[in-house]
Formats: sequence, structure tokens, C-alpha cells
Amino acid sequence: MKAVSDYKEIVPKKKWFETIVVRVFFFFIGMGMQTAYRIDPDVRKEVDSWPETFSFCMSVVGGPSMLMLKKAGSFQYLGEKETFYCDVEMCFKNITFAYLIMTGRISVPNAIYHNRQFVKGSLNYGMSIIRVMNIVQTLLLPNFLARFYIKKVPKLTLKKLVNRAITYFNIGYGVIK
Amino acid sequence: MLFKKNVVIPEYYEFFNSVKIISGYKALEAIPFELSRLGAKRPIIITDKGVAQAGLIKYVVDSFGGTDTVVGAIYDETPQDSSNIVVNQIASIYRANNCDSIIAVGGGSAIDTAKGVNIVITENSDDLLKFMGNYRLSKPMKPFAVIPTTAGTGSEVTMVAVIANPEKNVKMSFTSELLLPKFTVLDPRMTASMPSKITAATGMDALTHAVEAFIGTQKNPVSDAFAAAAMELIRNNIVTVVKEGGNKDVRLAMANASMLAGLAFSNSMVGVVHATAHATGGICHVPHGVANSILLPFGLEFYIGKSPKTKEYIESLLLHVAGPEMYVQTAPAERAVKAVAAIRSITSELNKLCGLPVRLSEVGVTEDKLESIAKSTLNDGALSFSPVEVSFEEALGVIKAAY
Repeated sequence: MKAVSDYKEIVPKKKWFETIVVRVFFFFIGMGMQTAYRIDPDVRKEVDSWPETFSFCMSVVGGPSMLMLKKAGSFQYLGEKETFYCDVEMCFKNITFAYLIMTGRISVPNAIYHNRQFVKGSLNYGMSIIRVMNIVQTLLLPNFLARFYIKKVPKLTLKKLVNRAITYFNIGYGVIK
Repeated sequence: MLFKKNVVIPEYYEFFNSVKIISGYKALEAIPFELSRLGAKRPIIITDKGVAQAGLIKYVVDSFGGTDTVVGAIYDETPQDSSNIVVNQIASIYRANNCDSIIAVGGGSAIDTAKGVNIVITENSDDLLKFMGNYRLSKPMKPFAVIPTTAGTGSEVTMVAVIANPEKNVKMSFTSELLLPKFTVLDPRMTASMPSKITAATGMDALTHAVEAFIGTQKNPVSDAFAAAAMELIRNNIVTVVKEGGNKDVRLAMANASMLAGLAFSNSMVGVVHATAHATGGICHVPHGVANSILLPFGLEFYIGKSPKTKEYIESLLLHVAGPEMYVQTAPAERAVKAVAAIRSITSELNKLCGLPVRLSEVGVTEDKLESIAKSTLNDGALSFSPVEVSFEEALGVIKAAY
């Protein structure tokens, strides 16, 4: 029989790869939202309907996060800044869930239906944020990939293609900066 | 989703409910024991004038006879649309009378108010706004029990409360597993005096909960079992309970149906019917049960045309809303349409019996409000659980069809 002292603490392996992938996706989504606010009238309309100062955070419990802040007429991606309070927080319950969702292996609607993520704060604003994210994902992703992430993919138009190019340019600029 | 006719095993699901259910004749008499089990002996009773005037509180107080449990205070002035002002007022009474637990006796408003009082007392703050939204609460709540006097809302087993803030003109919604009562008591005496029209509307509310849970996006084998049992009870009892309000057996059956539907929908979630009903209630002050009853068939028709998977669920629905004979007699291709027709035949019978409205135009909704209702529908949380994306035009289509 083992002695009491033989029972040691077990520290599970860190999930580095999943964490990096999720961080990269958070960066893309954050920069995408910031750009979309400037170029897409539907996104602007949604964001402008939120309170004057409004923070929104997407996070993994015990893992990476991204913070968006609406303040003084701008909508900014602030990266992985820690905050005491966010008006709305979308939390993934585990890094593996976030990884599977970000890589399109679980669609975002399914993740919501499965309860693999939850919303902290007002669900009314949560609905508006989901609509913004849907538009951003159609800007970031080609239609054949976007269908993994959203329920209804809009038709591709020239305007959408131009906006997509601007979004990618801004993300690239954000990476260099 | 692994799907094989009638049996759905999702790739992943969660189901939670911790409420102890006490149901039956003289069930109220179990309250003192249940409170003592939780270390409580001095509850505050929160109710409304209608319940008090119907003499229902007497049953609750009498159940404490012969025990060392006393009623700390009775608050019977809960308004129909409760507010943070009422909640703070009750919290002061709770503190002044050294109460140690909360019993809500009533319908949705009294129950939601009691949940609000529990937040204020537990968090020791009179600013409910700070706790608005999902998962904002963290402390274990005071012992809390619910005795429903309507059979429809299912609030006795749900983790949501909605309380108005008239100063800021907002309806504050609170969601947390901590808001769940410790136990609920379903006693047929408590619903026996409900007027027939309210009985019909609340019964249809329960049916809507069960139906939307059965076709909902988080449906799972556990929620399906509760939803199916609820629909069967409603199918067999809703007309009888409207005809024979004093029949304790059917009253108890409907109270159980409402609770079962509550268990189902609080886990499986609801969709376009509830989203449009919430918006209709918010803008035109239509009672929730009535709005649900009117919009249910139109919401289902919307799904039939939009989502093949949901259509398959609606086909299975026929078994529960119309019975096995009708189900086997109907060709599979016609089952979805027949299921909607079966629901319509229930509402039309209730319309003949007690005047339950079947159109939005009958409940004070005017044509110029339809667009505002559709706009408000898009911001309703229930819509995020709809199996299909709903646009403004589509929401307006459902509302116009029901008008």
C-alpha cells in the first residue's frame, strides 16, 4: 500500500498549440471588428446602438482573451487586456472547446446550443454582438468556410470583396505595428 | 446530432435542475419539514393581492400549524409587473422581521419578485442593476421555495427572473443557477380557483414551453422525456381543466405539466415563438401565455418552411400533441402540418369554451406596432437558440400571419 507522502500533485500538460491558435483567432476577430466598424454600415448601426461606453470581452476560462472597447465614438480592439468588469463577456468553458470552434470543427451556433460557451451580462447586447460577429466572419472568411461559423451566409458582392480586402490589409497592418 | 426518428442524442449536451419537487394532495403540509431541513424556521411569504383575496395564503399558513415554524411576514402587494422598488421594500421587511427564508406564492410576478429579493438579501446590495444579465451572481442564496398558483410559467423550476426598473425604463433579466428554488410545492388547492380564461392561457403557455423544448436546439434525451410527458398531460387535461375548474385531479395534472415543461425548456431553450411573444408582451402588454398561445402555430409553420431538421422534430410532435392513433393514421409527409393543426384545434376549442384569443388583433395589438414588435424580436435572447437565422422580414412575416 502506498504511503500518504507518495501521493503527489499532478499538473496537467499545458495546451500550447490550442492556446496559440485561439490567440491568433482572437486577434483576427478583434481587428476584424475594429475595421468592420469603420467600413460596414450594418456593423456601425449595431455598435452605435450600444451605450456610449461599452466593453465586450471574449475569453476562455483560465485562458486567452480579447477585449473590445467602445468609447468616444470609436470601437477599438485592445488585445488581451485584463479587466475587472466587462459589460458583456462571451466565455468558452475550455480551451479545447474554443480551439474546436475557432478551427471550424464545431460551428458557433452548435457551440451555443451545446452550452460549450456562455454569455455573462445582458443577453440583449449579446444578441447584437453575435450579429456583429456574424458580419465580421463573412468579411474574414470565404463563403465555403463561413458556413461552418454562421447560420446564414449572405451572397458575395463586389462591395463585400472590397471590404474583405480592406479588413485583411488592416489586420496585416496591425500585425506589423 | 445522432438522429434516428424520435430519439435524438446530441453530440454533446448539458442538463441541470436541482429543485426538489413535492406534488400532491395536502402537499403544502410538507413545507415546515422542508424548511427545517434547510435550517430555516421564519420565512417571509411573498404573494399578490389576487392570491391573498382568494384565500390561498391561509392554506400555506395553516400548513405550519403544530410545528415550531412561524411566518416572519406576509407581503401581499406584489404588482403584476414587479420592480426593483418593490423588491427593495420587501427586502427591508425581510430584514426588519428577522426572516431566514423566502416563500413565493403566486404566478410569474410573485416568483420573479421573490428571486429578486433573494438577490438583494444575499448580495447585501439594493442595486439590482449590478447583477443584471447572465451569471452575475456568485453567493449561495437564502433558502427559497415556490408555490405556484398558476399552471403555466414553469418559473418554479427555472433560473430566470425579470424585474422592471422604472427609473431607468429597463426590464432587468437575471439568469443564474443560484436563482433556482430549493423546493417547489404543487398542491391542487392552489390552482383550483383560477378563472377559466387564465387557466386556458397558462395551460397553452405550458404547452408552448413543452413544444419549443421538444424542437429546441439544445434538446436532449432528458429534456425530451420531460417535454413529452408535459405534452401528454396537457393534451389529456387542458380542455377538461377549463370545463371543470374544481376538479383537483386535472388541476394537479396541469400543475405537473407546467413544471415538467419548465424543466424541459429551461434546458432545451425556446425559439422564435417565445422571441415574438416576449416582444409582443413588451410592446403591447399582451399577457405572456396569451401571446404564446396565439403565436405557437405560426412559429411552427415558419420552422416547417425553413428548417428540414426542425420539420422532422415537428413530425414527431404529432405523437404527443394529438396522440398515438392520429400519429399512426397520418402519412409521415403530413405529420408536421397535422401537428400544427392539432395545436390549432386545441386553441380553437379553448376559444369557444372561454374566449381565449387566437389572433393578435383580438388582444389590442395594432397594425402600426407590428414592425416595432419584429424589431424587438431580433434582440430577444430566445432567438439565439432558434434553429434558423431569423431576419427582420421573417419575424415580421410570423407576426403579420398571427395578426
